[in-house]
Amino acid sequence: MKTLALALAGLVLAPLFGGLAAGLDRVLTARLQSRLGPPLLQPFHDAAKLWSKVISPASPWQGLFVRWALTAALASAALFASGADLLLCFFVQAAGASFVALGAFCGSSPYGRLGAQRELFQMLAYEPVLLVALLCLAKAAGGFEASAVLAVNGPLLFKLPLVAPGLIFVVLVKLRKSPFDLAASQHMHQELVRGVYTDYAGRDLALIKIAHWADVAVVLWICALFWATGPVQMLLAGLVTLLLALLIDNISARLTWRVMLKVVAPAALALASANLFWLYLG
Amino acid sequence: MIEVCIGLLVLWPLAAGLACLGLRSAGPRTGLVLATAAVLAASALVLAAQAPLTANPELLASATALHLARAAAFLFPAVFLFLGLRARHTLVSTVALAQLALAAYGEFGLPAAAAAQNAVVCDGLALALVLVVSLVGPLVCLFALPYMRHHEEHLRLTSSRQPQFFLILLAFLGCMNGLALASDLRLFAAFFEATTLCSFLLIGHDRTEEARQSALRALWLNNLGGVFLHAGCLLIQQRFGLADLHLIASPGLWTGISPLPLALLLIACCIKAAQLPFQGWLIGAMVAPTPVSALLHSSTMVKAGVFLALRLAPALEDTATGRLLALAGALTFLGASALALGQSNAKKILAYSTAANLGLIMACAGVGTPQAIAAGIVLLVLHAVTKGLLFLCVGDLEQASGSRDLEDLRGMLTQTPVSALAASAGALAMILPPLGMLVGKWAALEALGTNPAPVMVLALVLLAVGSALGVVCWVRFSGTILGGRAVGPLVGTHGVQPSAQASSLSTGPILALLAGAVGLGLAAPWLNALLLPPWPGHALSGGWGLLPPLFLIAMLGWVLGLKALSRQSAGPLAAPYLGGLPSRGPGTYVGPLGRNRTLTEGNEYALELFGEPGLTRVAGVLAGVLLLALLAGALS
Repeated sequence: MKTLALALAGLVLAPLFGGLAAGLDRVLTARLQSRLGPPLLQPFHDAAKLWSKVISPASPWQGLFVRWALTAALASAALFASGADLLLCFFVQAAGASFVALGAFCGSSPYGRLGAQRELFQMLAYEPVLLVALLCLAKAAGGFEASAVLAVNGPLLFKLPLVAPGLIFVVLVKLRKSPFDLAASQHMHQELVRGVYTDYAGRDLALIKIAHWADVAVVLWICALFWATGPVQMLLAGLVTLLLALLIDNISARLTWRVMLKVVAPAALALASANLFWLYLG
Repeated sequence: MIEVCIGLLVLWPLAAGLACLGLRSAGPRTGLVLATAAVLAASALVLAAQAPLTANPELLASATALHLARAAAFLFPAVFLFLGLRARHTLVSTVALAQLALAAYGEFGLPAAAAAQNAVVCDGLALALVLVVSLVGPLVCLFALPYMRHHEEHLRLTSSRQPQFFLILLAFLGCMNGLALASDLRLFAAFFEATTLCSFLLIGHDRTEEARQSALRALWLNNLGGVFLHAGCLLIQQRFGLADLHLIASPGLWTGISPLPLALLLIACCIKAAQLPFQGWLIGAMVAPTPVSALLHSSTMVKAGVFLALRLAPALEDTATGRLLALAGALTFLGASALALGQSNAKKILAYSTAANLGLIMACAGVGTPQAIAAGIVLLVLHAVTKGLLFLCVGDLEQASGSRDLEDLRGMLTQTPVSALAASAGALAMILPPLGMLVGKWAALEALGTNPAPVMVLALVLLAVGSALGVVCWVRFSGTILGGRAVGPLVGTHGVQPSAQASSLSTGPILALLAGAVGLGLAAPWLNALLLPPWPGHALSGGWGLLPPLFLIAMLGWVLGLKALSRQSAGPLAAPYLGGLPSRGPGTYVGPLGRNRTLTEGNEYALELFGEPGLTRVAGVLAGVLLLALLAGALS
């Protein structure tokens, strides 16, 4: 019963927190650029407005993949919140990312198609890092369940210092932030327009936005597990990660997928693997 | 009853194949293959209903059977030697001579080993292989009926060579069933060699120069595997006087003793299962007609290798040999997945992915815990069904489009919707939760993750990267087929002319395998509840508790998605977004100077990272070093 309540809480709270993170992003970025910016709740107003519009899709398959992506993202959020197996949650999350890429493959715009190719390379770059990070968490906590990680006394960050930079990389990619906003940029300042999102409009765009929010919440929640001594501390840990990502976004320019795949991802993976090895020896 | 079933499973396919050879026309052949499918399926299901069981059927237990097996130890190498001499292929002849020498030593230099206690022990593993061979195999043979007719029409042969082809195809299934059920190592080795011969004949079927070369390479490599197998068997015979596979696999036998015989057997498994650096023969086997590839990759041949490794796995738990095998398997999983990602040839993508998934099963075998073995069995079954499906689809798409290049399969959704949709569904069944391949991968990761040896970190990282590579590869495969637009007229790039004729014998097996891949994928928890021993305090214990809710979620997503699909298919579509450029027709835009330009697209294969020659060399050397370490570690 408690598991079910937790799952429901995750289902509702994940898109909510993700939306708030998007709002915070817009406010803070505007302030950093000496603009006033929109109110904090603007992303929710945007989604509501998009929901009310019915626009012809670019391909009949896109609606299907949007809904699958949303289902997978929400499912991974609910599973994580209910303290389920970390690796299973990871695989469900990865399925959501695959559906976003598949939706872009099925679109008709060359910008979207190109975004799909880049989305795949992004997945190739961050997924191993995230998986090894989760394996580190599981090893440090002594169990694969998210609830086992929550039950650990004291922050895990000190046992997993080398995983942290890798996880920041994952957060930047998942938040679609510079320097790794290759497949889709949060704002329309990219050579691919909006990459994988180019072909979406109206209700489908609103749904894929909500899926993205849930995804962001899941990744921030994984970061928060590094300081899981209490709900407030976890919230703060997630917030700090988000602020760090926003800061990096505002001070860096976009890199190419080659740099990401050949330099950044191997480095992040090597650090995380070294940490895992250290845990095995300790 | 059971003995009759076992007899039918092993001998019926051979008899039906011989009948195909005798009755040369197409009608009786179709009937015989259909009858084989029915007989094998019925027998395998009867066996499944009674399993686990032990039996001593005349066929596999009598003194005659053992005499035949001993004769086969000479006969097969002699045939290989003849083939090598005829083709003037030094490697084939040398390896065959070595094997003949080993057979002679075993026969005249060593006392005969004690016969197995039970000639047939049908446990979960054996049953899994029998079901795969007897249910997936005949479907491939059915698909081969219309395929081979088109194939021969295309080659313009004067006299049909289909009778021989179907004889070998069907006999292959019988050999695989025998191999799965025999617990006497000598009988096992005889069936093992028979599969080598069958694969040689099937790969070389088209008699082109390329086919001949590929067949000879498969022959010498697999014969080398046979040499390792025989060497291992002889050492076991010399040391323990044993020939019972189940006794050999018990860990108690090996405490404090050099595991060299096990290491030799494992090398034989790695060659048969096309692990790096031995993947060459399986990649070369692509030249054969598609049903051959489907059979080699899904239900026969390579599965023999992982079957033996999983059979020996209990003896590998917590041993250095086992850990090295797990590392080698994980390295193959990574290396072959990366090789698959750099390929645009759809059949090569499938081939490398087979090597990768078998590597995952090898890693499970190396870990050797009951959980890891269960994960390996689930992967074995689901890989067979899914890969069989994918090969049949690609074969069908190839005959319809005239090309096996992924880039040419764009837009096939409008040409051959059934096989195009089935291909992309099969590709997604390889990676998506809650389907079985993913569940198997998950269980394998956790089985490795709970092993406390520090060297397992390396295996885990290799698996993590390999898993991402696999996901990317299959999403791209599926996305290209689903999303692509056909560009230009359909022209074969491999010299194959399009000849699309839908036939119930080709779509039937595809649909059956699709149902099997998705259905079995969904049934993985129940499958595993049967196979999996208790795993206290784990999400996978007791029927994999977390998966049923995940199925409900998946079903919900399925319904929502299909509703959206049907609604949007009915409505109008938006014009493609081209960054504001005007367009005069679909797939074109008006470029500079008002010229009409066609939009073309292609996937990025990142050959600087995943190029075949470089990657093959690096991964091959690394895997070779690991396997040498496996042998050397066992020697010391």
